[in-house]
Amino acid sequence: MQLEVSVPLLISDCTRGRTRFPLEAGTLAEALRLLVETYPLLRVHLYNEQGNVREHVLLYYNDDNIAWLDDLDIPIQPGDKLRVLQAVSGG
Amino acid sequence: MAKRMALLVGTNKGVFLYASDENRKEWSLKGPFLPGWEVYSVLGDSRHGNRIFAGTSHAAYGATIRVSEDFGETWTQIEQGPSYPKETGFSLNRIWQLVPGHPSEPDTLFAGAEEAGLFVSRDRGTTWRELDGLTKHPTRPGWFPGAGGMCLHTILIDPRNARRMWVAMSAVGVFRTEDGGETWTPRNQGLARVPTGQPQEEVGFCVHKMVLDPFNPDTLYMQEHGGVFKSTDGGDSWFTIEDGVTLRDGDAPFGFPIVVSPGGDLFLLPLESSEQRSVSGGKLLVYGMYKGENRWSPVGDAAPDEPHHVSVLRDAMAVDAFDPYGLYFGTTSGELFCSLDRGRTWERLPGQLSRILCVKPWIVED
Repeated sequence: MQLEVSVPLLISDCTRGRTRFPLEAGTLAEALRLLVETYPLLRVHLYNEQGNVREHVLLYYNDDNIAWLDDLDIPIQPGDKLRVLQAVSGG
Repeated sequence: MAKRMALLVGTNKGVFLYASDENRKEWSLKGPFLPGWEVYSVLGDSRHGNRIFAGTSHAAYGATIRVSEDFGETWTQIEQGPSYPKETGFSLNRIWQLVPGHPSEPDTLFAGAEEAGLFVSRDRGTTWRELDGLTKHPTRPGWFPGAGGMCLHTILIDPRNARRMWVAMSAVGVFRTEDGGETWTPRNQGLARVPTGQPQEEVGFCVHKMVLDPFNPDTLYMQEHGGVFKSTDGGDSWFTIEDGVTLRDGDAPFGFPIVVSPGGDLFLLPLESSEQRSVSGGKLLVYGMYKGENRWSPVGDAAPDEPHHVSVLRDAMAVDAFDPYGLYFGTTSGELFCSLDRGRTWERLPGQLSRILCVKPWIVED
């Protein structure tokens, strides 16, 4: 299933210059894994050395911050979106 | 072969390139490149084509090195750049320094990082590894940051010996290696100690910037948080050189940059005090100690006609290698100044930039 990924312009040099692009994945967990496997330059900007999402980065699955999801093995549905956002706390 | 000047200026909102010919009278400004990124370090490197390396960082997105092969028009992020292994617990927050290796090592680059650490690339910047003898030093638990963060901001290489190097970290101090960076020894005897609240006597020194004498690599000069210092024994011991530069009785001269010309002229741009961190009396007064002198003196006011209540950061002052040499500094308010007569008279370069973090002259041969 295809979902739409969006990233901030500032780090779009890691996604071949695109701020919106499709990604094929079966589940949200797979989408998160494939995102940094497909665009390896993106990893350092999204995750810290401990492998956690950076303090001022938010990953949203549709309207949900993934930090608050109990389970990431959610089947992707048509029209789903994965958004990389800079938290307001990041200035 | 014609030579020209590409003056690279890193700001907290991208990097700019001032271009001029060898005369450095007329300047054109390009940029911002990498807009939105802090550029704490930048290096023009002509050893394998003309490439610009930039240490880019952002409060949200972390720190990486990016490289341009077309004078800033396009950039590529280095995939295997500096990083700390998970088990160290360290974070890579900024790249504070990018320097080329010794002339005998043309494929080598070094990077100084925050949190403090030293990284090396032996393949022209493609892959990087930490020289972790530094962060595995027994004093590491006693390292604490200065106000700007715990940064490794100075990397010096002995021109006689590629394996002998110095690094300086704030607020840790100076370390020297004799084996190319595998093992390190603190070299801080005689420096003024700032209170970091930790008990280790060997560290806790807030070095702001350090340079190597162009004629004698055993001689180093330093602007420290607590004064201006010199060493004549490779950093084994330090003593003050502050005659003529004390702005307030009883206070050690405070400032960030110190630079040395190819001929041995030294320059500082002192600030009023540690508390105020702005130039004294609104004057952009540059102090010099010309080769052969043993006393500082105010050599030139860069902007005598109007007050400037600004600061100049540690890497925002630089000297080029032309003859006569150009002396440059950029302010925290984004103004850039140039002198071609040993700091006596100054021209302001066009443009008002963001906060200037680093100024790096680059002589390009066509």
